[in-house]
Amino acid sequence: MKRGYVYTIVFMFLVSAVFTLFLAGTNVLMAPRIADNARFEEQQSLLNALNLDDQGTTEEIDQRFKDFVKPVEGGEFLYYQSVDSSGAVQGYAVPFTGAGLWGTIRGWLAVNPELNELQGIVFTEQNETPGLGGRIMEDWFKEQFRGLKLEAGQAVAYGEAGSQKIDAISGATQTSNAIIRIINQVKNEVLPKVEVK
Amino acid sequence: MPVEKTSSLIKRSVFIENQVLRQILGVCSTLAVTNAMTNSLVMGLGVTFATMLSSFTLSLMRNYIPHRIRMIVQTLVIASYVILVDIVIRAYLPGVSKQLGPYVGLIITNCIVMGRAEAYAQKNPPLPSLLDGLFSGLGYMMILLMVSFIRELLGFGTLFGIRILPDSFEKWTIMVMPPAAFFIIGSMIWFLNARKLKREAAKEDTRK
Repeated sequence: MKRGYVYTIVFMFLVSAVFTLFLAGTNVLMAPRIADNARFEEQQSLLNALNLDDQGTTEEIDQRFKDFVKPVEGGEFLYYQSVDSSGAVQGYAVPFTGAGLWGTIRGWLAVNPELNELQGIVFTEQNETPGLGGRIMEDWFKEQFRGLKLEAGQAVAYGEAGSQKIDAISGATQTSNAIIRIINQVKNEVLPKVEVK
Repeated sequence: MPVEKTSSLIKRSVFIENQVLRQILGVCSTLAVTNAMTNSLVMGLGVTFATMLSSFTLSLMRNYIPHRIRMIVQTLVIASYVILVDIVIRAYLPGVSKQLGPYVGLIITNCIVMGRAEAYAQKNPPLPSLLDGLFSGLGYMMILLMVSFIRELLGFGTLFGIRILPDSFEKWTIMVMPPAAFFIIGSMIWFLNARKLKREAAKEDTRK
């Protein structure tokens, strides 16, 4: 069927307009829900890093976060502190960004109030090889960092560390090394900027 | 052109013209997401949904689309549905969305979706087009699940994230990486082609 240029242009214009409107509408409808999901995930990550209970419904997490985690603003970057019911500081969580094997690894690293012991580490964004480097997301890997001593002048490494033993992921040497590099970088460059109260 | 019967349509689009094994379409995503059954299931459902609805919509519009811009229109319609899938997954299944990452957007470039639009929907009425899209998508999902069954079981010792094999099982790292899908899909195609050749040879013999 042969049709003129005007028909073609008008047709394309109309089709584009209809579908764009349809998508824009859905996006507007879903945006609050997606934002809620992102906030929930962030809260859960911070609770996990600070070694607080991160299980429960959205409301429970939200409430616990409001009660025990406070943002610290005004510094060079935004970080969080956890407090107990009397308001005493229990730990700090600082954001980190570092290079993994395939892409950027982002997450939160939490330390005790004296800044000499790791409370926990979580990764919120990573593109490592699924099943190999991607296993940094698994609990056994993250949990082994809890309580790790951070001593001045001594770099964190895999292997025996005091009473602990930190295992790398076999088959994912590059990613494992990247994590240790990031931890040392945070320890040397970011933690000194945290204001201990 | 007479519209084919639903039963023969199902048989054709799921088995005889299976998109992955016979048409060799959608292989990129088959390699990428089949190391876990959950991801394969969601990817399969996403592609099925997108193929089904875009075939239906394009078939409804088939008499109005100017021939020379039909591919632009197809891409626009397909992209709209895929973005819709992406938004819905992000809103209701945030965990899955995170795992699938960029692959959902890649449904747009999945050749199966556009392949069905070009090969079927632009010449056939809406309802058969919808069924054609649905069953082509299900055929794709079937292969994805078969491949991921093998890969997840041997690579992680789990199925749908549930541990099946004991912890002492030595995991096959290769199964987790994309090359494993190459071997598995390659073997499947080999098997099917060998069988087809054998049958044709048998037919030849009886004819003689």
